[in-house]
Amino acid sequence: MAQMSAAEIVTVSIDGREAQVPKGTGLVETALAAGIEIPVFCYEPRLGPPIGACRMCLVEVEGMPKLQAGCTLTATDGMVVRTAQTSPAAADGQNSTLEFILVNHPLDCPVCDKGGECPLQDLTFRWGPPVTRNTFPKRTFEKPIPISPTIALDRERCILCYRCTRFSSDVAEDSQLVARDRGSQSIITTFEDEPYRAPFSGNVIELCPVGALTSTQYRFAARPWEIQDVPTVCGLCPVGCNIESTTREGKVKRIASRNHPEIDEGWLCDKGRFGFAHLLAGDRVVDPLRRSGPRRYEELSWDAALDEAEQMLRAAGQNIVTALSGSETTEQAYGLGKLLREGLGAHCAVMPEDVSPALDAFRLPLSAIREAELIVVLGDDPVVERAPIVDLWLRAARRAGAEVVTTPIGTSDRGVGAVRKGELATRLRESERAILIWSGPGGRGGAGVAGLAAELGFGEKPGCGAFQLLETANGRGVADAWAAAADGEEDDPEPIELLIVSGDEAAANPDVRALAERASKVLAISMFRSPLAGWADLVLPGTSYLERDGTYMNLEGRLQRLRRAVIPPCPDELAWIAKLAERFGVAVSPHAPQVFAEISERCYGGLDYTGIGEQASLPERSSEVDVPKPPAPAKRESKNGGLRLITYRPLFSGPAVQRVPELQFQRPDPEIELSAEDASRLALEPGAQVSVRSNGTSVELRARVNKLLAAGVARVAAEHAQGLGTHVEVGA
Amino acid sequence: MSLRDEIRAAAAQYPDQRSGVMSGLGLAQEQYGWLPPEALAEVAEALDLTPAHVQAVASFYDMYHLAPVGEHLVEICTNVSCALVGAQQVVEAFERELGLRAGETSEDGKVTLRTIECAGGCGYAPVVVVDHRYREPTRPDDVPGIVGELNGG
Amino acid sequence: MAEAQSLVLGGADERDLTQLSEYRAIGGYAALEKARGMTREQVIEEISTATLRGRGGAGFPMGRKLSLVQPPEVAGKPTYVVANADESEPGAFKDREIMRRVPHRFIEGCLIAAHAIGSKHVFIYIRGEYGAEYEVLKAAADEVRDADLLGDVTLVLHRGAGAYICGEESALLESLEGDRGQPRPRPPFPPISGLYASPTLINNVQTLTTVPIIIDRGAAWYSKIGPEASPGTVVYSISGNVERPGNYELPLGTTLRELIYDVGGGIAGGRKLKAVIPGGSSVPVFTPDEIDTPADFDSIQAAGSFLGSAAIIAVDDRACMVQLALRVEKFYMHESCGKCTPCREGTRWMVSLLDKIETGRAEHSDLDLLRDVCNRVLGKSLCALGDFAVYPVASYIDKYREEFVAHIDQGGCPYGGESSIEGIVAPVDQHTHSPVAEVPA
Repeated sequence: MAQMSAAEIVTVSIDGREAQVPKGTGLVETALAAGIEIPVFCYEPRLGPPIGACRMCLVEVEGMPKLQAGCTLTATDGMVVRTAQTSPAAADGQNSTLEFILVNHPLDCPVCDKGGECPLQDLTFRWGPPVTRNTFPKRTFEKPIPISPTIALDRERCILCYRCTRFSSDVAEDSQLVARDRGSQSIITTFEDEPYRAPFSGNVIELCPVGALTSTQYRFAARPWEIQDVPTVCGLCPVGCNIESTTREGKVKRIASRNHPEIDEGWLCDKGRFGFAHLLAGDRVVDPLRRSGPRRYEELSWDAALDEAEQMLRAAGQNIVTALSGSETTEQAYGLGKLLREGLGAHCAVMPEDVSPALDAFRLPLSAIREAELIVVLGDDPVVERAPIVDLWLRAARRAGAEVVTTPIGTSDRGVGAVRKGELATRLRESERAILIWSGPGGRGGAGVAGLAAELGFGEKPGCGAFQLLETANGRGVADAWAAAADGEEDDPEPIELLIVSGDEAAANPDVRALAERASKVLAISMFRSPLAGWADLVLPGTSYLERDGTYMNLEGRLQRLRRAVIPPCPDELAWIAKLAERFGVAVSPHAPQVFAEISERCYGGLDYTGIGEQASLPERSSEVDVPKPPAPAKRESKNGGLRLITYRPLFSGPAVQRVPELQFQRPDPEIELSAEDASRLALEPGAQVSVRSNGTSVELRARVNKLLAAGVARVAAEHAQGLGTHVEVGA
Repeated sequence: MSLRDEIRAAAAQYPDQRSGVMSGLGLAQEQYGWLPPEALAEVAEALDLTPAHVQAVASFYDMYHLAPVGEHLVEICTNVSCALVGAQQVVEAFERELGLRAGETSEDGKVTLRTIECAGGCGYAPVVVVDHRYREPTRPDDVPGIVGELNGG
Repeated sequence: MAEAQSLVLGGADERDLTQLSEYRAIGGYAALEKARGMTREQVIEEISTATLRGRGGAGFPMGRKLSLVQPPEVAGKPTYVVANADESEPGAFKDREIMRRVPHRFIEGCLIAAHAIGSKHVFIYIRGEYGAEYEVLKAAADEVRDADLLGDVTLVLHRGAGAYICGEESALLESLEGDRGQPRPRPPFPPISGLYASPTLINNVQTLTTVPIIIDRGAAWYSKIGPEASPGTVVYSISGNVERPGNYELPLGTTLRELIYDVGGGIAGGRKLKAVIPGGSSVPVFTPDEIDTPADFDSIQAAGSFLGSAAIIAVDDRACMVQLALRVEKFYMHESCGKCTPCREGTRWMVSLLDKIETGRAEHSDLDLLRDVCNRVLGKSLCALGDFAVYPVASYIDKYREEFVAHIDQGGCPYGGESSIEGIVAPVDQHTHSPVAEVPA
């Protein structure tokens, strides 16, 4: 923390050892600096100030008559502390705490998912009583209680440390998981047993220091000594949260956080945590497929598939369009680009979204959001839907006293005007710690927000920065790779002899589907069968981010390494791209590190693959960037009477989420969001069933008031807005 | 004034309207007689809180009823000072007269009988609180009269 | 016999002091005017000189507390006065009487305190059960508001809803902020960071009600009453098996013997005194041998107990001490907030062990275990409730051990159903509060 660096250094004696730490450092950390562990259950600095509830951390402090909860104390000069290592009183205190915790704990460790990686087991082993003196029946509850389809609660195991409820109320601020009743009757629960439905709910599983909150996906799935954890990066959004992929017998069993303090602080969204189950989806493509009838496919061998692919490529020559997903690894996109561009001169690609290097001049780690004093969020999408973890950083910033200005969704200029002129603009200009975030479409891949940042003088202020919340996990890396793969002019080929659809996101893109109508042939690379039925001539199996080696570049501009957690059920893309490239005399290595070395030479300044490490660092701000113009306020057409419809891609949507049964409850209800103003003008009670009409289509949806919406705008999740145009009529 | 407006008006006394949850629960309980889930949700909605938080708060305090209670509430303090001077005999007298055990509500929903912790009437023990009005001291002999009042009223 | 000295309750026997006009007729709100003519420092100095110790239980000097509160201009935020009117210690019923009979003196004290710390906000947290007292206070507050005595201070009455723990100051603040009333770790103490994380003065009703008297008559005069280290009067709440239970305002330091035998008229029905609880149910018990102890903060503490809220409960020889321990412990189990481990789990375990002893199923080792569980809870909980849950039980065992042993040896209660508290039903024995999710083992 920046404020700490200037703090006075104090000396604290702990068990006779001296620790020198900045004044105000927590005693648990101070002890750690002296190499001494003060055991804890409830203490978790990421949850906010300590609460001193569990009493596991009792220590003796000179000058204080009673044992003290170490977690609530901070270092002061000359403080003399004795922990259980040297103080019999503290040891007795900790032993007492454990005895009390275990009075009602079932000790069902043999059948507990937490067993083997359980803080309660570990601390009892080290500090606890060797015998049970309680002879009374322990409390028993119905179990497990489904807190949600993803989380199970075993109340008997709960030690009431309040970590989960603090996360819910103080970090995610959803206040859905709470403690109920009082004293020894207290239980953890949701309102009327409704599911805990919130984007970050799964974090409570990891926070639980016992086996009370467990993952339904991981329930009875593995013992800790049978598993391997692979440190990699989530590939489901542009944040790139660092994750640990737990595997057993070649299968991913769970995803856990791997705290990168600048990116995710150890939190994950539920999509990233539970979405991995799409790897085992029933419609997974594992062998190459060739269309053998209008909607029929036959499997073919890899040799035959590569022959077929070769023929398709040769026949199409330069008249190829490649549609990319932004979920490819940088290396995969580069390999494909090199094959097509160098081997065939087929330079035309449809990129998943715009990206702009201009942001690099205003680069900051995501964690800088919490340090900021003024943050302006522009654009039409709630942050949580694009880059969920950023929502937690914004909440943390607000709690730390920052002002977060969020432009109403659907504002005609997306909030740009207020940032360029007026009181807010002045404050942004004057602030040393201000941040702009573009959350939504239409930001020219970050060029727009970079232009605004430049205009506000952010380039010269190291505490000020700008972020574009991109739509794809590796849009930037894919764009870099495609550009680096070869030199050559991009020309729109006419006619399109071959459309290559790389990945399931591209396959789901209506624009790509439209291109497919114009193309003579379609070659698709896809994990799943269903979206392609009927329109791809050749399907080559795709892999997931958990099955690949390679790199992704996140929205900060940070390159991170994916590590293969499990072997895919098919060769990975780079393997067959290399083989196919060979047939065209193009050298593509099947090994990600070697491909990366080639890319790095061309566009990442020779950055070393292994040097990226398990916790990637953020490159310095670049100063050699052409600063784009700020966005021009776009006038949006208004139609009398109707509401302008914004459709959005919800957080819980997409090919992965669709295939995870446990996540279905998180998908958006068939709702239309209206501004409070429109709802009252239309005399709609919240929850009313309404019909939404446009283009001769009518959809039945439930009305909900969203206070963040501008008047005249309605919002519907894309999956519930099919057939609706840009303007809708809403009626009872 | 609607319940929502009353709750909001009471909360407006505080620098932070979150502080209005207890007065809100009190008002909702006055209206509903107890606090069914929809009442909790109403308090939550009025104060921009989650129903879960409101329930968490309500369940912490003894005076909020999360299960239905009778039209009349008879509460007997059985803490030390009252116990020492015969509170249990008063409990038993009520149990006899009402045909209920402490903790129960009569089948017709008319009366709930329960014991409570110290009501702060230790010098006038045993303390009985009928519909939030202190009757102190109450002797076993007084019980039939009180029950008669409840049945008549 | 101890001389009654009415200061806090002064004038209430003669007049209806719930009326503003009546209170003003005896000089009411003159102290407020006087205080407002003084600087903050002068007011604090006066209260410090009077050595006014908090009457809520801990006996912390109010002057010290006042001087610890950061003024708004230093803190950069508003400051608050919170009156703790959540009197819930079993045996205590004095604040109720003060509020019912001298609400204006109490409000006047709150307003002087607000002036002393530069606060514009007074909150009175009154326990939910005190409905009649709430109405009296509300009427008084309305009169004060109408008479423009508040100045620019807002006065808010906040009703509790039945939770003993909210008498603990940090739990009270949590409750007042709209959360479950669970104590906070301290430091930071309320004078530094209290209500809404702002500097907060929090004092008991009786303490605040004493303030106008000190301002009015001067610290020098006040500090001559009672013992030097804890001067002044206190309203003793006398209850249990005495002839004349009630609230009696007397100088601090009146002995327990005087309180029970003179003031309280002795043990009812001419029975024999068995035990005295000198400060509400949470404190260690005294045997009849110890009742010559003066009832002031220091003397009682020197004798091994606490004056607490000056609630004196006399227990006659018909009471079974195991039953008494069980009843008291059920109270603390019921009132434990559930936040910290030793209190939450310890109280429940102690109740189970006491029940086992009372019902004659225990062995001698269970008594030793119970005493050890007491030790294991003591001094380890987040707030004082854990200690309060231990003091009575541990002291009953230590001082009346033979009764506990007799239960074990005889395989049941030696009182054979004749104890004065036989069969007493505690709220924790009922399940009316909310549906319990527990299922039988």
